[in-house]
Amino acid sequence: MAGRKQFSTFLVEKLLFGVEVEKVQEVIRYQEMTCVPLAPPVVKGLINLRGQIVTAVDLRCRLGLRERAATRLPMNVVIRHEDAAVSLLVDEIGDVLEVEEESFELPPGTFSGEVRELIRGVYKLKRSLLIALNMERVLGVTEAAVRA
Amino acid sequence: MRALIIDDSKAMRSILGRMLRGLQFEIVEAANGREALEQLQSGKNIDIALVDWNMPEMNGFEFVRAVRAEHAYDRVLLMMVTTETEMENVARALAAGANEYVMKPFTPEVIMEKLRIFGMAGS
Amino acid sequence: MGDIDDIIRDFLLESNENLDQLDRDLITLEKDPTARDILASIFRTIHTIKGTTGFLGFKRLESVAHVGENLLSSLRDGRLTLNAEITSALLAMVDAVRQMLVKIEATGKEGDGDYTSLIETLTRLQGDHKVADPKSAALATPPAVMPPPTIEEIRKDLEIPESVQPLGEILVQTGAATRERVDEALSLQKHGDKRRLGEILVATGAALPAAVQDALQVQTESRTPALSESSIRVDVGLLDRLMNLVGELVLARNQILQFSTVQQDSGFLNTTQRLNLITNELQEGVMKTRMQPIGNVWSKFPRVVRDLATACGKQVRIEMEGKETDLDKTIIESIKDPLTHLVRNAVDHGIETPQKRRAAGKSPEGHLLLRAYHEGGQVNIEISDDGAGINLDRVKHQALERGLIPPDQAARLNERELVNLIFLPGFSTADKVTNVSGRGVGMDVVKTNIEKIGGTVDVQNRPGQGTTLKIKIPLTLAIIPALIVTSHGDRFAIPQVNLLELVRVEGEQARSGIENIHGAVVYRLRGKLLPLINLRRELQAEKHDELSSQEGPVNIVVLQADDRHFGLIVDEINDTEEIVVKPLGKQLKGISTFAGATIMGDGQVALILDVLGLAQRANVVSELRDRLAGDLAAKVESQRSDGDSLLLLRGPDDGRMAMPLSMVARLEEFALSSVEHADGRQVVQYRGQILPLIDLSSALTERRLQNRVSGSTAESVENAKIQVVVHSEQGRSVGLVVDRILDIAHEAIKIQRHTVRPGTLGSMVVQGRVTEMLDVKGIIQTADPDFFRETAAA
Repeated sequence: MAGRKQFSTFLVEKLLFGVEVEKVQEVIRYQEMTCVPLAPPVVKGLINLRGQIVTAVDLRCRLGLRERAATRLPMNVVIRHEDAAVSLLVDEIGDVLEVEEESFELPPGTFSGEVRELIRGVYKLKRSLLIALNMERVLGVTEAAVRA
Repeated sequence: MRALIIDDSKAMRSILGRMLRGLQFEIVEAANGREALEQLQSGKNIDIALVDWNMPEMNGFEFVRAVRAEHAYDRVLLMMVTTETEMENVARALAAGANEYVMKPFTPEVIMEKLRIFGMAGS
Repeated sequence: MGDIDDIIRDFLLESNENLDQLDRDLITLEKDPTARDILASIFRTIHTIKGTTGFLGFKRLESVAHVGENLLSSLRDGRLTLNAEITSALLAMVDAVRQMLVKIEATGKEGDGDYTSLIETLTRLQGDHKVADPKSAALATPPAVMPPPTIEEIRKDLEIPESVQPLGEILVQTGAATRERVDEALSLQKHGDKRRLGEILVATGAALPAAVQDALQVQTESRTPALSESSIRVDVGLLDRLMNLVGELVLARNQILQFSTVQQDSGFLNTTQRLNLITNELQEGVMKTRMQPIGNVWSKFPRVVRDLATACGKQVRIEMEGKETDLDKTIIESIKDPLTHLVRNAVDHGIETPQKRRAAGKSPEGHLLLRAYHEGGQVNIEISDDGAGINLDRVKHQALERGLIPPDQAARLNERELVNLIFLPGFSTADKVTNVSGRGVGMDVVKTNIEKIGGTVDVQNRPGQGTTLKIKIPLTLAIIPALIVTSHGDRFAIPQVNLLELVRVEGEQARSGIENIHGAVVYRLRGKLLPLINLRRELQAEKHDELSSQEGPVNIVVLQADDRHFGLIVDEINDTEEIVVKPLGKQLKGISTFAGATIMGDGQVALILDVLGLAQRANVVSELRDRLAGDLAAKVESQRSDGDSLLLLRGPDDGRMAMPLSMVARLEEFALSSVEHADGRQVVQYRGQILPLIDLSSALTERRLQNRVSGSTAESVENAKIQVVVHSEQGRSVGLVVDRILDIAHEAIKIQRHTVRPGTLGSMVVQGRVTEMLDVKGIIQTADPDFFRETAAA
């Protein structure tokens, strides 16, 4: 029993987030996006990934954080989710980190209710906190997103 | 250029080995998929692998899948060696990431032509 | 010599070892004839021997191993069961192989033994497998590796019977190639050119790729379609992946074709032509792998019909034609339910009880016919019954009852329109909701499901005699031709199947040709009114878009959805391309305006418009609205002095008001911001003239108005529009600003109560509601006393 897990990590607004490596298809730099009119605001556009059309979801927006500065270009963390690929737009890419299962805790109260919905919990690292995202919720379709 | 010949039949390995040596390839052999992976991982630079289908321990299809799961080996050309009764298996292999297939029995010219398309005509 | 000896030595060593094991295996097998792993192991041995002998040039050995392999393959896959005869034959084969191996060891050659009778026996035994049905065997015990078709089967399938013409002949006969060039090509083949005849002809420019394709088609059609005999099970996910790959290939080919147009190099051009041919064939081939015969869906119907008929106390005979018609698997999934519903419907509602039928002079047994066939690149499916047909009166009645159409419309619907009422949501002619006709699924859902996959549904009704439902579905799903347009800098693809025509309206025509009627922006195309949608506005690219003040030419793409036509205004019209349709992720699936996305030639992603969704969202497709717009325009145009036509308006304080339609010249809509003030009056520029405006609410002084800013509450003040009824008399016009135009009514003007209120002539009952009759002349007179005097003078 290894009790360790590997996470692909990335930064949004200086917060360190992670997704299990198995779920990450790849991590790439900023890609030009085609914007989708009438789409929910979290969907920033569509990316052509070697022939695969991938929906780009802005994690900042999803977490309810303020918009990225126009000069800062987001990076792409392409997640495999339910047989399709979705790209999370993040500020910076971090390293692959290995964490101990024991260091896992449920989300602390410092997170707002909305954000708490989107994370599974945190892993306490030596000097920081790795926030584990709940991909189901993050990429799920909210009621607001579904329009007629 | 180095070729990895993967087949559980020694006779077959000899035959293909001779053919590829004739095309200026250095040869490495493996009797099944697992051995083949070990060869790849041993640090030898392999340019092309000729992959048989039916092998014990790890067959051709499993091998292709395993190799393509490792992006480190993306530049290794995977060529399935097949017979006419195995075509649908080949389709599976191609979908799993094999690059080409060649049908037994073939002449050196056939292989050469295929390699040329991939820019690998032996130097 | 040394090298070759080594290889042969290896071969002999290996083969002999394997044969020894094989002997042991056969003995074990005799005790347990179905031991799969043993069969598989034996198969592998012979398979390897066969594979290797090919390289070493041992032809006899190869042929024996070949038939042995086939036989073992059938055994391994359960199509044959081992018996004493087969075991002996296999043992004989092993002996023969050993014999040859011995000879090879001794002389380096396989010798010249005659193995024809052995080969015959092995072949015969292999061909004797009608006992087990290949399909059920495969289903019962799914092998780890798919059972491949045997060489014999493939060869049989591809055998060209004498009656089929050679490709060259067809080309010469159709004049697509000269005999000399064909002969040249054939001669090349004889001298070792391994390319197919068609390829050679195209490469040497002797025939066009299209002609070769046509000829191939002719040739294939005259072959017996035997491929359905041997079947293969393949994972659907794999096929999807293959389809995607083919899709990418098509795109790459398209890009190469684009490059080729600026290339001179003939070698390059020939290769691109070949690539083109191959890609087309591949595309077709892969598509075919996903095809399933519609019989798969139909197979359940006889039972369904029988049970349902019994439950309803009816007698129904079902007949099915065209079971083998192929459809793409995903299409089959989509039409399964609609077809089931239609079949149930036919039994439940279409076909009468035996008594009724006898009374009508028909045979007591009803007849239900299902037909499917390919035509014009589409699959046609017909469901016909010889029942009572659709009772149009009942339909009309039902529609009225459910408020699906306004009464005055009902009277004027023609037969076809009446029949199509059954597709309106909320419609059902069942007197009681029978749970027999499927889970509350209505005809509207059937239609929507079929249209979702690009198909159409049509109803042919023969009252008293029966009904036929015709469904047409396009064969190709994933790759479609589309028109590329630009709006607000972004490109969009419009499936060509929805495209009717392209219209470019310039200059003056742009401003006058585009009219505003009842809140609908329309364009008069060859006399008929075409509702318009502005793509920019629909995509909310701009909040504030004034159509009437648009400068420059207007590009209108005339589209068809749900049998209605409308025009889409775009900034630019680019070209037509073949695009690969890729689905949108689930985050975006809900947006009805888009049907998917595609990757353009330059790698950019473009969205594909869902024409039906777009139209519905813009509310342009509602048949009723369309009809109303059309009606009003027609009425207004014809200026009927029919005293019985009324224009109904919403008056101040939400009361209903009316005025004779004969007094209405036009209905217009203006932006509030375009209202100017002149001479203490409100005016608006209209067709090069000044149109004085009279606010109805202020004219009816007794009723104070709120600050009404057109009907919509959500829009901000800048966007506010005003509805204006234009009244013209002898060249002079005045516009009555009204709150909202409601409808047109045909009721005799019978003023029941005369009032003294200025501006009205009295009140009456119209469409069951109390309505005040406007005193148009009085209102105008009050507001502009000079109006009539001037016209009288002029």
